[in-house]
Order: sequence, then structure tokens, then C-alpha cells
Amino acid sequence: MLLAALLVASIALSACADSVTIFAAASLSDSLKAIAAAYELQTGDQLVFNFAASGTLARQIEAGAPADIFFSADEAQMDAVEKKGLLLPGTRLSRLSNALVIVVPSDSTLGLKSPQDLADPKVGRVALGNPLTVPAGSYAKAYLTKLDLWAKVEPKVMPTENVRAALAAVEAGNADASIIYKTDVTISKKVTVVFEVPPGMGPAISYPMALVADTKKVAAARRCLKYLSGAEAGRIFKAHGFILLEPGHKP
Amino acid sequence: MTHEAWQFISFTVRMALLSMLVIVPPGLALAWCLARHQWRGKVVVETLTFLPLVLPPVVTGLILLQLFGRHGVIGHWLYLHGGMDVAFTWRAVVLALAVMSFPLFVRAVQSAFEEIDPLYEQIARTLGASEWRIFFTILLPLARRGILAGLLLAFARALGEFGATIIVAGNIPGQTTTLSVAIYQAVQLGQDSYAWILAGVSAVLACAAVWLSTGLLRHPKRAL
Amino acid sequence: MNRAAQPAPGIQAHFAKHFGGGVDICVDELCTGAHTGITVLFGASGSGKTTVLRCLAGLTAPDEGWIRFAGETWTDTARGFHLPPQQRHIGFVPQHYALFPHLSVAHNIAFGLHASTGAERAARVADMLRWVGLEGLADRLPRDLSGGQQQRVALARAVVTRPRLLLMDEPLSALDAPTRLRLGVELRGLLRQLDIPSLLVTHDRHEALTLGDDLVVMDQGRMIQRGPVHEVFSHPMSLAVAGIVAMETVQPGCIVQAADGLVTVAVGTAHLTAIGLNTLPIGGEVYVCIRAENVILLKGAEALTASPRNHLPAVVRALHDEGPILRIDLDCGFPLMALLTKQACTELALKPNDRVTVLVKAPQVHLIPHATVAGGY
Repeated sequence: MLLAALLVASIALSACADSVTIFAAASLSDSLKAIAAAYELQTGDQLVFNFAASGTLARQIEAGAPADIFFSADEAQMDAVEKKGLLLPGTRLSRLSNALVIVVPSDSTLGLKSPQDLADPKVGRVALGNPLTVPAGSYAKAYLTKLDLWAKVEPKVMPTENVRAALAAVEAGNADASIIYKTDVTISKKVTVVFEVPPGMGPAISYPMALVADTKKVAAARRCLKYLSGAEAGRIFKAHGFILLEPGHKP
Repeated sequence: MTHEAWQFISFTVRMALLSMLVIVPPGLALAWCLARHQWRGKVVVETLTFLPLVLPPVVTGLILLQLFGRHGVIGHWLYLHGGMDVAFTWRAVVLALAVMSFPLFVRAVQSAFEEIDPLYEQIARTLGASEWRIFFTILLPLARRGILAGLLLAFARALGEFGATIIVAGNIPGQTTTLSVAIYQAVQLGQDSYAWILAGVSAVLACAAVWLSTGLLRHPKRAL
Repeated sequence: MNRAAQPAPGIQAHFAKHFGGGVDICVDELCTGAHTGITVLFGASGSGKTTVLRCLAGLTAPDEGWIRFAGETWTDTARGFHLPPQQRHIGFVPQHYALFPHLSVAHNIAFGLHASTGAERAARVADMLRWVGLEGLADRLPRDLSGGQQQRVALARAVVTRPRLLLMDEPLSALDAPTRLRLGVELRGLLRQLDIPSLLVTHDRHEALTLGDDLVVMDQGRMIQRGPVHEVFSHPMSLAVAGIVAMETVQPGCIVQAADGLVTVAVGTAHLTAIGLNTLPIGGEVYVCIRAENVILLKGAEALTASPRNHLPAVVRALHDEGPILRIDLDCGFPLMALLTKQACTELALKPNDRVTVLVKAPQVHLIPHATVAGGY
């Protein structure tokens, strides 16, 4: 992770046009890369990404990693960074949401249909993003707790580095099931969705973004942030399966 | 230090000791082959043996995951016929520690064997001793300092192993979290002081093992 | 002397071993004959002796050829057969003894007795210790033993299994001079009692003379003469052998007369009488070899009545003090070396430029035909 941050920093320094460094949650990788292509064509600015679990990114920013924008998958990680005074005041906003789904390997014979099935003894391992650092994991934990299932599922949990790693574990058959974002499933062929958490039943998922206080490229970063929260970017996010929140949405 | 920290330390030490049990028999055998025999393709064996020393540990972890995951060549067979899971269990921890420390052990033992004058074995042969007897009554006793030093070094390496472990065994609290993985997690969570305490323990264990190992190697004339 | 009543065919070998960049070893019909004596393989360092020993022991394999012992094939490269040392039932004593450093004297000796029971082992070990005179040292470690003691333990270890053949590599070379002298005699006694055919390898003349019955001379990887020890030392068959056995005086000469089994040889400005070689015609070129210890020096009238056929006037050129003996360079028409005890020298009051008479018996003048390059044996 740190190596990626270093690489990002050096690329950023050597760019001719403005380049903006965005630390973003892993679940945003595909959508942001698509947006970056469009953005670069339009403005000539280059977008450089560091994708990881939001908790990891938050720690890196706290350690002084050179990010311009922080795009987290949950409010809690953004709060942690804000508390340390590392965000540019007044730039924080939330426009994106997601849904949770339960997935199993495509060749699974366990016949899972609902969250309750996760508590069944025949389910051996459940891969979740580490609830301590990965928003997807903490959302999953919140959901299972709400359903009174966490106590039974917790012993089976296999914590992963980020939500994509949880997906990979299911794809490789190393886990029997996982709770990940709906947006992650669209990129995978080897898993099947067995349950989608209905809107309103699950935890409130929100993807806040903000400018990092120490950014050296305030103008370019502001431009980028505006674009990310604008209509064009919104279309791309929606196409990848994200849910758009109304402007002024309060988490 | 918290109960949890002691658990990490105890778990890591236990897994490291188990991995030592795993590497000693094949390590001794391989070191003997490398030290005392020449054959076509020996270079290939040597290269493969020492690969984990120079490959990025995560690459080794990746290879192990590929082989021992539930759909892996070996893992699938084990799961089907023995109901046994390797990846993401304590077995994977032992596996990762064993694979990563194996080359260190082999290299040390190979050196120890090579330092012994082959004449002793030759005399033993003229006295009618079989190769097995020569190995256990001549080579091993004469090389015991080097073997022990190698074992200590391998143990230290196993204690500190991270890259391969986290890939093939993951970080499942209470099941696969080793000391170095716990330190990594503590850093990720911003628990810096906790991380430093664990790091301190890790450093002390490593220093002790290396110090003992070097001491053994430095006094070849003194009887053990 | 304790010789076997029944002859054993002994070693028969014909093999070669090639060393890239080194000397090629070529053993042509090595054969220890049908007795249980001590054969010495004699030659300078690097002449290949140790390699021959190791091939016989089975520790190295020759590149081509065969080795047989008592009718049993040990090595045959044509058939790809090589009997491992474990099955040859031999005893091997290397140059520096190679006692197992981590085992006591008793355990070292007992190492080859794995087929015996504990009680038998203990008895045999005790016997061996008594035989080599090391009772009471059973629990010592090799590093606490003197060179001579180590050598005896090594011998005991090699012999305790009653091997069919004993191979020793320079048994006395690792010892200091006084120990070497003392142990040489002891070792000869021990080997005689053994009644096992033994093959010893050495470059030291004293070792060969003290311990050996038969001598095989090796030079540049080849065996160039073989025979009883004293015979080979006094009658080398070629210049090479003469050099290896350290023949002190070797001079070119020419046969001028032959009659009654005796020949007269012109050497330098002198004439010597020697026993004739049938193969040589008058005018044939030879090398004359005379051992320094066979040269008698007299002064004055005594010389006239002495019996040796060869009387030559000589001048003392130089005296070399070597402790108990002196080497004397003489000129009697050709350079000649003599060996005298210090006592004898004092009695003769020898000084450089003294005139003396040199006496050499005819049988002790050895002739090597000029044309001989390397003799077979």
C-alpha cells in the first residue's frame, strides 16, 4: 500500500499537466478508472489513483501520504480523518451509495438463499472485508448484527484486506460465501448472487469525498471534486451499479 | 501486555516450532544430497530450493495459495479425500513458515556437512558401515553445531515471516494471526503504541535466536 | 616370521585413472602375489600412490580397467561393476589416521564390529588395546592422544574386523622423527603378527626399508619396478628408479671388456669391475650405480690387501656432516659418494683434499643398460 502511495507521489511530481491524486475505496476502482478516462480527455488533467480499503487509506493520509482527494466507502473513516484536521473544511460531500449482496461461488452446492443460511453449520467460511478497516465489512457486520446473526457468523469470518479480496476468496472457492457490494459482482463471472439486501433494510451506505487539507493542487482538486459530484460522473457511477444520492444528502 | 498479545506470541511460537518439525527431516536429507552428491540436474534442485530466499515472499505465498487453495492442485485433492482445508487455516501458517525458512536451514546444514572431511565417511565405509549408519553416527554428530545454528536461524525466519503467510493464511483472528500480521493490523488501525510493543517482542525473539545461532557457529572447536 | 601356510592369490589389478591437468595413473598388472607379506608402493609425492590405494579400497573408481582380490572381482569398468568398500572387507589406515573425533578410543575401534554382540565387541576391543599397548586409554578422545597413540588406534580400528587386506597410507609420515623410528620397528612387529596381506604406500626410504618385504616403485602414475625391497634399492632397473630409490652415485660408462661373467666398465677416467649383464656387448653404454654405504674408504697400506675387486685412488672433495653419519664427496676419476660413521671419519682423520683408496665389491657395482627407458617389473 505504501509503495503504491510512493509511486503515485513520484508520478504526480513528474507530470506536466496537473495531476490529481485520489485515494479511493477499492470498490470504486472500475468506475473511477472509467471516469478518469473521460475527465482526462476533457480537461487534460491526469488522475492518479490509490485503491485500497478505506481504513488503510485513512491511516496513510494520517501518516502524511500525498493525497489530494479522499474518496471513502464509509463516513466513519472520513470522520476519523476529519477529526485530525486533515480535510479541507467545507469540501466534504456524499453523492454515492451502494447495496449489499450475499454471493457464493458459482459452483456452490450449499443452496444458500438468505442471510439466515449463513448461520447454518454447513457454511464453513464467510469472507468479509476486515470490519475494523474495510467499510464493506463493517456494513456487513452492522447488517448481520441487526438481524441477530453476527454471533453465529463471527466464528466463520475470514477477514480480508479489502472488499475485492473478499470477492476473490469466493471466486477461488476458499470461502463459501461473502457479503460484498452489488457493484463488485458485475465485474465477476465466477460468483452468483443469492440475496440482495433490500434498500432500507441494510445499513446506510454512503461514499463521502473530500479534499485533503495538505493538497498542493487546490484548484485542480476542486475541479476534479466538482466533476466527480456532477452529472456526467454520476451517469458512469450509475452504469456501474452505484446508487446516486440526492445533493444535500445528509449521512 | 494484553492477553491478546500473549496469544499472538504463543500462537506464532507454536506455529514456528511446528514448521521446524516439518522442515528438519527433508532439510537434512536434501542438504546431504547437495553436500555429498553430484548428479545431472543438481543445479535445478538447488535453484528451486533456494528460490523462496530470493523471490518476493508474496510471490511464494501466491504459489502456495494456488497449490493449496480449495481449488488448487493439492488443496482440492486434500479437501476431497481428507476433508482437510489448508489455505486460510493454521496449516497454511505452518506451510508458509516452513517454505520460507526451509532454504535457510538447508543452506546452513549443507555448509555444515561440507565442512566435514569426507575421509571420515570413507573410513566408515571401509569398516562396513551402511550409508544410513554413516549419516546418523558420523555426519550428524559431527555437524550438530551447524545443524543447530541453521535450525535457530530458520526458527527466527519463521517467527518473522509475513508476506507469504498473509497471502496463503490470511489474517483470521485466533486462527491464523501471527505476530507480524498482528503488527501489520495494528498499524492499519492506527494503534501505533500497540504495534511498537509487538514489534519489540518480535525483535527480542529474533535477536535471541540469531545471537545463539552465531555463537554456535563461531566456536567450532568447542564441544557442544 | 608368521607367514600363511596357504597362499592367497592376493591383489590383481590393471586399471587407469585420468586426472585433467594432473598425472594419469596407469596400473599395469599390479599383483601382490601369493603371500601375506607387506608390499610397499614406493614413489615421490604426486606419483599416484594414494590414488592407487583409494582405488583398491573402493573409495575411488578407476576410469577403466579391473581390480580383483583373491579371485573375487572388485571393480570392472567394462561391466560397470564396482563393489562398494563396505563389501570388500579391508582395513584402511589413512595418512593422518582420521580417527572419528567425536568417539572415544574404544568406540573408534569398535566401529567396524557392528555385527557382533555387545560382549563380543567389548572383548575384541580389549584385545586390540592390549595388542597395540594402549590399555587404559579406552575412554580417551582422539584429540587427547599423541601422534603415535593415534596411529596405533587407527591400526587397531582397521584390523579389529580381521580384514582380508590391509591398506596403509604413509603410516609414519605424520609422526616426529624419534617417534617415527621407534614406532617403525613396533609397527613392523605388529604387522608381522597380523598375517594379513598388507599394502603400504610411502615416499620415505626408511619407512620402506623398515616395514616392507616387497617394493613396487611408482613414477608419474606408472609402476616401473617390483621386487624384494633390498633388491630394488640396490639394483634399480632404470635411471628413473635409481633416482627414486635415491641411488647416490649414478655415472655413465662404457663396457670395455667382458670375461668369466665379469665386465670392465670405463667410467670417467677409471675402470670398474662389475658382474656382467648378458645383454650387453662390448662398447655398450651403461650407467653405473653405487650405493654410498657400499663404498669402503681406506688410507695407506691397508688398501693393498683388501678383498674387493675395485681399488681406486681418490681425492676427498667435500665432507657433509649429517649428525651421526657423514657424506663424503670423492673424486676417483668420476664423482663418487661415500657414507661413513662419524667414528670412522675421525679414525681416518679425513679432510678435504686427502688422498684415500676407495674399495667397492664387484657385485655392488650395479649396471643399468643405457637403452632402458622405463623397465617393467
